Amino acid sequence: MTSLTLKRLSVFALPLATFAALSTAAQAQEWTPTRSIEFVAPANPGGGWDTLVRTVSRVIQQEGLADENFAAINVPGGGGAVAWAQIARDSGNPHKLFATSPPLILVPLAGASRYDHTDFTPVARLITDYSIILVPADSEYETINDLMTALEANPNLSVGGGSAPGSMDHISVAGLASAAGLDASSVNYIPFSGGGDAMTNLMGGHIEAVVTGAGEAVGQLGEGSQIRALGVSAPERIGGGLADVPTYQEQDIDYTFDIWRGVMGTPDMPAEAVAYYEDLFAEMLETDAWRDASEQLGWINAYQNSEEFGAFLDGQQEQFSDVLSELGLLRQ
Amino acid sequence: MDALNNLMYGFGIALEPINIAYVFAGVFAGTIIGMLPGLGPISALALMIPITFAMEPSSGLILMAGVYYGAIFGGSTSSILLNAPGVAGTVATSFDGYPMAKQGLAGKALAIAAYSSFIGGTVSIVFLMLVAPLLSKVAVSFGPAEYFALMVLGLTAVVSLSDKSLVKGLIAAVVGVIISIVGIDMQTGTERFTFGSAHLLDGIDFLVVALGIFALAEVFYMLLRGGGGKEVPRNVIGSLKLSRGEVKQIAGPISRSSVLGFFTGVLPGAGATIGSFLGYSMEKRIAKDGDTFGKGNIKGVAAPEAANNAACTGSFVPLLTLGVPGSGTTAVLLGALLVMGVTPGPMMLEQRPDVFWGVIASMYIGNLFLLVLNLPLIPLIAKILDLPRPLLLSLILIFCMIGVYGMSFSVFDLLLLLGFGLIGLGMRLFGFPAAPLILALILGNIMEESMRRALQISGGDWSIFIDKPISLALLVVALLSLTLPLFKKRSKKVDASTAK
Repeated sequence: MTSLTLKRLSVFALPLATFAALSTAAQAQEWTPTRSIEFVAPANPGGGWDTLVRTVSRVIQQEGLADENFAAINVPGGGGAVAWAQIARDSGNPHKLFATSPPLILVPLAGASRYDHTDFTPVARLITDYSIILVPADSEYETINDLMTALEANPNLSVGGGSAPGSMDHISVAGLASAAGLDASSVNYIPFSGGGDAMTNLMGGHIEAVVTGAGEAVGQLGEGSQIRALGVSAPERIGGGLADVPTYQEQDIDYTFDIWRGVMGTPDMPAEAVAYYEDLFAEMLETDAWRDASEQLGWINAYQNSEEFGAFLDGQQEQFSDVLSELGLLRQ
Repeated sequence: MDALNNLMYGFGIALEPINIAYVFAGVFAGTIIGMLPGLGPISALALMIPITFAMEPSSGLILMAGVYYGAIFGGSTSSILLNAPGVAGTVATSFDGYPMAKQGLAGKALAIAAYSSFIGGTVSIVFLMLVAPLLSKVAVSFGPAEYFALMVLGLTAVVSLSDKSLVKGLIAAVVGVIISIVGIDMQTGTERFTFGSAHLLDGIDFLVVALGIFALAEVFYMLLRGGGGKEVPRNVIGSLKLSRGEVKQIAGPISRSSVLGFFTGVLPGAGATIGSFLGYSMEKRIAKDGDTFGKGNIKGVAAPEAANNAACTGSFVPLLTLGVPGSGTTAVLLGALLVMGVTPGPMMLEQRPDVFWGVIASMYIGNLFLLVLNLPLIPLIAKILDLPRPLLLSLILIFCMIGVYGMSFSVFDLLLLLGFGLIGLGMRLFGFPAAPLILALILGNIMEESMRRALQISGGDWSIFIDKPISLALLVVALLSLTLPLFKKRSKKVDASTAK
């Protein structure tokens, strides 16, 4: 099936490439890359950042959107901290970008990185995923409110997630509890080594609920599944395989949580270069190849340009530090 | 029979000329990747995602699966010849494989590794085919308490792995646990033993330690001994043929380790490395000539090799039937499948039987290819031992350094490698066994995390470990395996003294 769509795509690829070349030529008076762009995933191959970097590089190349190559580079370590420290030293380099998401804010807040989002240049927010709460198919909890009531009555009730305390999954469920009128620290959050690990433990009945990314869970839900979803953190229902899952807001808990992903550049990246990349990514999000890829990966386009993205990040930092301080995990 | 029909259907897909080509390309690339220390299947598969994107999903998975089990198959080669494990799953193979090579039996060791891998792989494909959907229940039955008990059982092998001095073995094991603790603690986010260095936040990679303590330490040791080069007989690779007696000897270990390895692989938290250690220590314990393990016993090559290949195939059970990856490598495979538009999980058998059965059928073909490909290559590859000593030693050094650097692109890791090489040398000079350290390093982290997770779930109540039947059973077995040898030893001593 995939190969069919691709063949179909290649018919369009040539005219598209010409068009892209023309349109980049039009902006070229300002700034264009003069050598290949290092696109850093601050993690090992296989994770969320890596997938983003590789997919972006591939789509840009496939659709001929840029004259220069986007080279995917993995710089793992410290949940991103090693890469950030490296990039922070490369001030003003217009040929270096990196993939980013909430850890860029959470890791420094937890005191594990000297650099935070204000040290880098926001380029564009690209996509978002949402957080989802899952329970076993035969669980007694039918709505998110059932779960919250149970949490209030039994603070020992175990909610698993795929990352360390104080990181994305934990913040999203603690924030939810807080919005539902409970104490954020009343969630007995059990960290597992990944969303998949947490879900296996849920299926085996070792824990009561799991909080994870909606994109990661979508393949697990549906007919014949051993698990079921109580709610998503989106402002409105996500389509596709998750169309039946109500939002928290629908269930009278005024709370949303974005697992956003975007691109940032080196400190003090020249404004012309930022403008070039902003346009490039905006254009990329409209291509068929991107649409196909993001559909399969469960990504939802959520473009913001450099300025909007910067302001959004400031807001996120505020929101996260509130939850973290309620949890007693703020270390700054 | 249903499974037979499905298998025929699978072969229909796997035997398409293009897919045969993919299986071949996959296992060939995998063998090479596996042989090179450090370069593991994870990074190779991640790099392949863009290539497979445009492929038919069944072909894509056939190719990538081939790389994965091919790498485990090929990883034994460098373990045996150079004492430098090619992939984490083949560390245990070097315990007896390398001594065999030193005795001029490299050919035989490699042949045994190939046969055991082939049988381990094939046996577990049969299991995968017949009972995969049922096994998804086994995969989820292991929660934190059960994993803790399993790791305790695994750690009891320290006793059998520390041949001469139990105290030295225990010291090595404690050092292994300490190394496994380095990094950010998963449960609290606290940094442990990082000394403020960002490079240590993610902990120390297992292969850095293994390559340092085995391969590099061996290089240093040979240098120290003045490069006399008397240990490896020149131009002697030895015969590949096994005598009837030898076949009889390894038949038991291979079949037991195949089954054990498969079930270890099915557990999402275990995998090929743990499987191979469990297989090795089980055989060492039940063998009558257990004390010759570590000195070039053929059973010590057969058991871990059968187990790691069986575990590799077993790890496809949670991936395909539950859609959850059990290891870093299967996580990349899961990502690749999603990109190709296939969602592994309970519905996969119905929605994409072509992918499911196609891959299973291709594994039979791939394992056969691996055997046919590897056997004739053995004399060629083993020629590396004919290199002049200075060349061979520098080659091992270069392989290890490229491998480590290729994993992390970090110079810091190269220094760590060097450090562990020196530690390994010290351990050799003072008679500390390396195997318990490596075992504790693999198991320590999972054991600690599982224990704390279990206690967090139970609200601090330790009875969770004996309330759960699987956990209780594993702990009882662990206790027995520690106490029974004591009785045995005692009765032996009594025998000996009465004989005197």
